[in-house]
Amino acid sequence: MAFLDNSGDIILDAVLTETGRRKMARGNFKIVKFALGDDEIDYSLYNKNHPSGSAYFDLEILQTPVFEAFTQQNAGINYGLLPITAVDLLYLPVIEVNELGQVSRAISRTSGVFHASDTSNDTSGNNRIHKKLDNAGIGFIKNNLSTNYILLETGIDTGTGNIPVGTSADRQSYLVANNLVDDSFRVFYDSRFISTIYGPSRTGNVFNNAGTNNELNATFNLTQAQRTSQNSIGIEHYVSSVVSAVMNNVVFNTDGTDTSATYSVIDGPRASALSLAFEIKSGLDAEYTLYGGTTTIDSTSCDYIDTTIYVQGTTSPVQIQLPIRIVRLS
Amino acid sequence: MAILNYELLDTNNDVTTTRTLLHESIPLTGTIVSGTYSDNNIKNYTHGQFQSVYDYPYLSSSANHIFDITVGYDEGSTLSGSAGATQEAKKINMYNQFSQVLLGYTGSTNTVRKFELDLSLDGSGEMPESLFLNFARLVTKDQIKKGTVSVTVGTGSWATPFAGTKVLTDASASATGGTLSVLGGEYGVLYDNATNVAQGLVFYQAGIVALSTASFSGLSDFYSSSAGTSSIADMFVSSSITASCDALRHRVQNISFNNTTEINSKVYFCRVPHNKYNHSSNPTYLSSSTMRVKSVNTDTPVAYITTIGLYDSNNDLLAVAKLSEPLRKDPTNELTLRVRLDY
Repeated sequence: MAFLDNSGDIILDAVLTETGRRKMARGNFKIVKFALGDDEIDYSLYNKNHPSGSAYFDLEILQTPVFEAFTQQNAGINYGLLPITAVDLLYLPVIEVNELGQVSRAISRTSGVFHASDTSNDTSGNNRIHKKLDNAGIGFIKNNLSTNYILLETGIDTGTGNIPVGTSADRQSYLVANNLVDDSFRVFYDSRFISTIYGPSRTGNVFNNAGTNNELNATFNLTQAQRTSQNSIGIEHYVSSVVSAVMNNVVFNTDGTDTSATYSVIDGPRASALSLAFEIKSGLDAEYTLYGGTTTIDSTSCDYIDTTIYVQGTTSPVQIQLPIRIVRLS
Repeated sequence: MAILNYELLDTNNDVTTTRTLLHESIPLTGTIVSGTYSDNNIKNYTHGQFQSVYDYPYLSSSANHIFDITVGYDEGSTLSGSAGATQEAKKINMYNQFSQVLLGYTGSTNTVRKFELDLSLDGSGEMPESLFLNFARLVTKDQIKKGTVSVTVGTGSWATPFAGTKVLTDASASATGGTLSVLGGEYGVLYDNATNVAQGLVFYQAGIVALSTASFSGLSDFYSSSAGTSSIADMFVSSSITASCDALRHRVQNISFNNTTEINSKVYFCRVPHNKYNHSSNPTYLSSSTMRVKSVNTDTPVAYITTIGLYDSNNDLLAVAKLSEPLRKDPTNELTLRVRLDY
């Protein structure tokens, strides 16, 4: 995958993807829409303080070399341009993992990954993967509806003391008014290892208005997510499900004790919250040899498979990759 | 990550088709045909019906097939039925094969047509004996460009074949005339540049050159072997097809033509309106949830386009186009990106 020659006029290098060629062979090749991408661009190179003035702000960006087009479906556009018509936006929401430990069933990363248990090699007594993970102090996702989950939050995270703040009023004016609150998310996962995705039910909620000290009141009620027919992420073996989100009503308390920073990783107006869990596919065996390796947990040899779950907002441009490690006793 | 934001194409106004003819110059020098590779690039077959010429020793995977050579004559030729003929049936079969594919049959008895050295198949100017050069599709592509064929052959003695040469061209043929349409496509006549006498035919779509033996009729030593020298007529009768092909290669000094590739294109005009696609979901677009390209909310948002993805109604990515350099997009400009897919 070479770079395109950018020494002369602007040229367009167009190729059919593998899917395009396959569809052409089958006679159902029909292009009806387009999307725009900027995967090569590093916007941190945009220098608003360039001493030579505004004409030089994007000098480095415009000199970015662009790769040749390639034919893999997933390698087309990873980060698309957005059709937002408002021109006065300064802030856009982000998605972050809540690992503050304030929600009892929300797990944190260990060694950079979220663990999920596969009990297929469990026997009895202490010889169970759950026991080993507990002994090692590793939070993990189990294979049932009452499992732990990964807690995700979206919102404008500008940091303490910065505008906008996390009040209800700012939530309304910066997020709701600009249609930047997701009421659902698309979750992309490898169907070879994961069979089902769980997310919160519509009846869930997250507030920090409980008791006299503005304590957390969070209910997620995990339910099975709806699988969609389209695999628009384009990665082989990946499928997608749509999970509901709950409104993230953790706010900056202007009356009494402010607890928003205690319960939320977003330091600013919050948009949505999502509890994400999943079920490991049964019968994984050869896959551990083919795609995984072995590790030691609580002095016990374990098999593992590493995979990634992608989460994307259906309304706002938020997206995040979650590294997952599926473990079982060897 | 999946793309969720698409811009619909107006299939009536944003999509059009074009047709372009692309030409390449194909020069085949005589040293490739005989000499450069000590005939290791010449492939002969046990059936002995034709000979193949490659651009490199043919046992190499780098070798490309350039053209085939064969000879043949009609069963009505004066050479037919000669005493001591070699491979006569095969030579007649070769001639018939070419003529039935390129010209077809005629008459109440459905006899195969004979090649004629003119643009009317009226039975005059017949060419009952012929040397055939069939060019590979690799070099002719969709067809040979009319009016570009030039064949230079040696008319000297066997020992010094290029002491005299003649150049046969189809200069009178063009895209608008000078050809005749027959079963095998269009053909033009190859004329001797010096005398303007017709001495061969070129079938443009089939990529076949048929040379008349008249080109070499005055030579008493067209061919030489251990049995002695012979005229082209004698060689046609008494030599094998392979030996006849060797003799022709010995006298080919140069062949050149332009090929033609027809490119059908579909052009998609991707119109990017001024008020959309000025923001990005690129993770680097934000720093602490704040757009890096703006200092205050009244600043103009800006994004940079490097890629255009073309999708079907199932959101499947069918084609990708990349710009050679990032293209600035902000609310003050409206872009039309012209994406051309060639077939």
